[in-house]
Amino acid sequence: MSRRLALNTAGFVVAALVVAVLPRFISSYHALEWANVGIYFVALLGLNVLTGYSGQVSLGHGAFMAIGGYTSAILIAHHGVHDVWTIPLAGLVAGGAGLGFGLPALRLTGLYLALATFAVAVAFPALARKFERFTGGNAGLVLTLHTNDWLYYLSWSIAGAGLLLGWLVLATPIGRSFRALRDSEVAAISSGISPALYKTLAFGISSFYAGIAGSLVAISTAYVNPQTFPITLSLFLVVGLAVGGLGSLPGSVVGAILIQFLPTYAAHVSKQAPQVIEGAILVGVMLLLPGGAAGLFRLVQSSRQP
Amino acid sequence: MKVAVAAVALLVAASVAGARPLATPGVSSSSILIGGTVPLTGEAAAAAGVARGADAYFKYVNAKGGVFNRKITYKYLDDGYEPQRTFLDVRQLVQQDGVFAIFNSLGTSNNSAIRGFLNQAGVPQLFVASGASTFGRDYKKYPWTIGFIPTYSGEGKVYARYLLAKRPGAKIAVLYQDDDYGKELVSGLQAGLGAKKSLIVKKVGYDPSASDVRSEVASLKASKAKVFMIFAFGKFAVQAFITANQLGWHPQIVVNDVAAATSLMQLSPPKATEGAISIVFGKDPDAPMWKRDKGMKLFRSIMARYASGQTPNGYYAAGMASAYTLVDTLKKAGKNLTRKSVLTAATHLNEKTNPFVLPGIKVHTTPSFRFPISQVRLERWHNGHWVIFGPLLSAKP
Amino acid sequence: MAQFWQQVVSGLASGGIYASLALALVIVYRSSGVINFAQGEMATFATFLAWTFLHHGISFWPAFALTLAVAFAGGVALERVVIRPVEGRPVLTVVILTIGLLILINGATQWIWGGAVRKFPSPFSTRPIHVGSAAFSIQDIGIVGVCLVAVALLTLFFRFTKLGLGLRAAAVNPEESRLVGVRVGWMLALGWGLSAALGAVSGMMVAPVVFLDPNMMQGILLYAFAAAVLGGLESPVGAVVGGLALGVLLNLLGTYFSTFGGEMRLVGGLAVILAVLLIRPTGLFGRTAVRRV
Repeated sequence: MSRRLALNTAGFVVAALVVAVLPRFISSYHALEWANVGIYFVALLGLNVLTGYSGQVSLGHGAFMAIGGYTSAILIAHHGVHDVWTIPLAGLVAGGAGLGFGLPALRLTGLYLALATFAVAVAFPALARKFERFTGGNAGLVLTLHTNDWLYYLSWSIAGAGLLLGWLVLATPIGRSFRALRDSEVAAISSGISPALYKTLAFGISSFYAGIAGSLVAISTAYVNPQTFPITLSLFLVVGLAVGGLGSLPGSVVGAILIQFLPTYAAHVSKQAPQVIEGAILVGVMLLLPGGAAGLFRLVQSSRQP
Repeated sequence: MKVAVAAVALLVAASVAGARPLATPGVSSSSILIGGTVPLTGEAAAAAGVARGADAYFKYVNAKGGVFNRKITYKYLDDGYEPQRTFLDVRQLVQQDGVFAIFNSLGTSNNSAIRGFLNQAGVPQLFVASGASTFGRDYKKYPWTIGFIPTYSGEGKVYARYLLAKRPGAKIAVLYQDDDYGKELVSGLQAGLGAKKSLIVKKVGYDPSASDVRSEVASLKASKAKVFMIFAFGKFAVQAFITANQLGWHPQIVVNDVAAATSLMQLSPPKATEGAISIVFGKDPDAPMWKRDKGMKLFRSIMARYASGQTPNGYYAAGMASAYTLVDTLKKAGKNLTRKSVLTAATHLNEKTNPFVLPGIKVHTTPSFRFPISQVRLERWHNGHWVIFGPLLSAKP
Repeated sequence: MAQFWQQVVSGLASGGIYASLALALVIVYRSSGVINFAQGEMATFATFLAWTFLHHGISFWPAFALTLAVAFAGGVALERVVIRPVEGRPVLTVVILTIGLLILINGATQWIWGGAVRKFPSPFSTRPIHVGSAAFSIQDIGIVGVCLVAVALLTLFFRFTKLGLGLRAAAVNPEESRLVGVRVGWMLALGWGLSAALGAVSGMMVAPVVFLDPNMMQGILLYAFAAAVLGGLESPVGAVVGGLALGVLLNLLGTYFSTFGGEMRLVGGLAVILAVLLIRPTGLFGRTAVRRV
């Protein structure tokens, strides 16, 4: 077994143990907060595949989360499906939407793609309001409540599975093709990789993850309405991605922690102007650590070597 | 050594004897912890005064000894008007801080997001700061929830009855905010018009995240209606007034209560707003008619003492009205304060002395009628301020 | 038919609003290749500054000029302090930075001035003028007029002045520009300063219509993006034409196809962005970029 693989596996096992045992030591409410971290982690895993590994910037991932969330909510509220079974369905529906979006999105690059996805995310709540008959409009859909611990274990088991799956996919030639496309599209094409196929696939995979995350959001809040997935969610996902480090799946945990705890932390620091603190921290992190948490880790690693 | 052990044992025993286990979360012999959520930041931050006004009132009550010697602590968290955050905040308040009840949380979707959880946990959701009638109507499913302000559908009905009486047969055009708030006003209007529902010749909704409503108003003008209902929020209402005026359209305008704050009305030129009609249930701090009123004097002195540096407006007054009723409810719930007793008190209100609502309004509830304020009066905008006219009207949903 | 002209006229009026912010977006993109998500918030902040100046008794046009100067300086400072360190970094880093700025500036505005809605005076008359069955005001014409003047000035600047040429050169090819003596760093800062000033103009034109509050520009930002994309992200003329066209298009869509009324207007804007990006990504006035392999 290569050293890297051994280290990764050991790290994973340790992390899994910590996650499994944590709720015993923290309050029930904190377990809920950490459950949310798990949910954001799932979403970031997907976004990392899209942006970190295949180089397509999406500022609208909240919309795919919304598709997953509403799929689950509609199945649970209107059709009485048991909530856990809706999770994979939500992922598939969102994944399908991602594939559908990825195809025409091939024509867009860089900032244009970012703008297009931004527009989708901004307009999605309006669509949710419009199709009231399915989505419950502004009144939203009410779902079953669960205990915080149950939610915690649900999100983290899915997060763990998602991480393993992600690692697996990226270790295959698919992953290599993604990276090749990101690093130099021209070179990749000339070595026979079809950008259309892989870029669309990346969209599909990442929206699958987003849909699952959205479904978990719906289940954990037990309520979904058009304001559940606002544009700020999409923006914060991208922020979390950058802070965690592009191209680092475990780094996404740091990003997820940021998304969950930054607003609360900022509110602690300044009750009057929490957003100023939030914005300042984001700007500061991007200036000092452009590579994100993963970049910091690599820095530490490389400084240790002679 | 033995002496030390004995001393420690004595101390432990003493502390255990002194501490009474909390039978009811959030209530001790000297304090009551109340929780709530309001948008302190974000698009609806202007409404945060509701919490601040209530907080100032509680401080005033505490200074006078509190309720049965218990001081009220009102912990309100920012939810940025996002239901997701409201949900987390409320879970924190209930599970982490152990509040006694949730009070005065603002926003229709925000309260919908927390209602299931609070009812499941048996935590009272008191005096919701939203006019959606579901909070008073669906008590069989959600027994721990109760509203406060007149419902939007009740308000719509009041306007319908007024129009049928004073402008029978006049065609009506409606601009409404396309969310629960606006839509319930419209359905109330329609219900109130009954058979004459077809008088509404055109209704146009607008997205709350839009920038302006000029196109919508222009299209409503084209309907040639003689009555223009503005069921909007904040600056959109102001834009509607101004656009109608600019387009040369001068119908009878009816604007809903939440959008009718004096400070907002004054942003439009007088020609645009003269003669507009709305309803009112509370005393507007900016209205000259309450200058010498005892209740408003109390309001101003509380603001000066406990919320100095903040500009009092209708939101603060509404918050204080709510807070007054809460204190009243806590008193009625008795010295042995439990969640059950406070719910019983909240569903048996018969309050005639609230200094912050219009004289004659009774804050009244029964277990099957959970709309504490269901009476209003009409007011007309004249020469830069609101003038109340007519008798007390029923605004039952 | 009467309604048609009214909606066209109102559409031009709203379109002027989108165009003014789109101009600022285009300038910053053209000069530094960055889409500044914080543009709207910077404009709002500048407008609040103007409000403060007016509140302290300074009359309109001096306050206007003062605000432009402060906004320009602010834009330059922002570029030097915050954007410069991440020059050359991947697109995503800069995008996050501007998002962080968006949050920070919005928070600062709310903190300093509070959330209440305020009036902002217009230098133009708001008295309605009726032409046929359509009504509009001098203010509406004024907004469009100011955009056109700005575009004209910008075009002259870019084409006929040394500074403008330097700006364009620095954006297109920084290395070679340095070789011929263009101070690329300061060109980028200039671009940000210019767009900040344009944003301030936009804010001060828009505030009388939509009223001043910290979230004033948020409803406009998406439409401004749509306008910029429609016109071609690099073309000031395109931004204005795009904005006006968008305003009229959305109004007509909303009036004649009731599915697009109300909240679907936003979706309409989205559809425009997507359609343009798919059919003609460089927009109406953009130049097709040729990629060297």
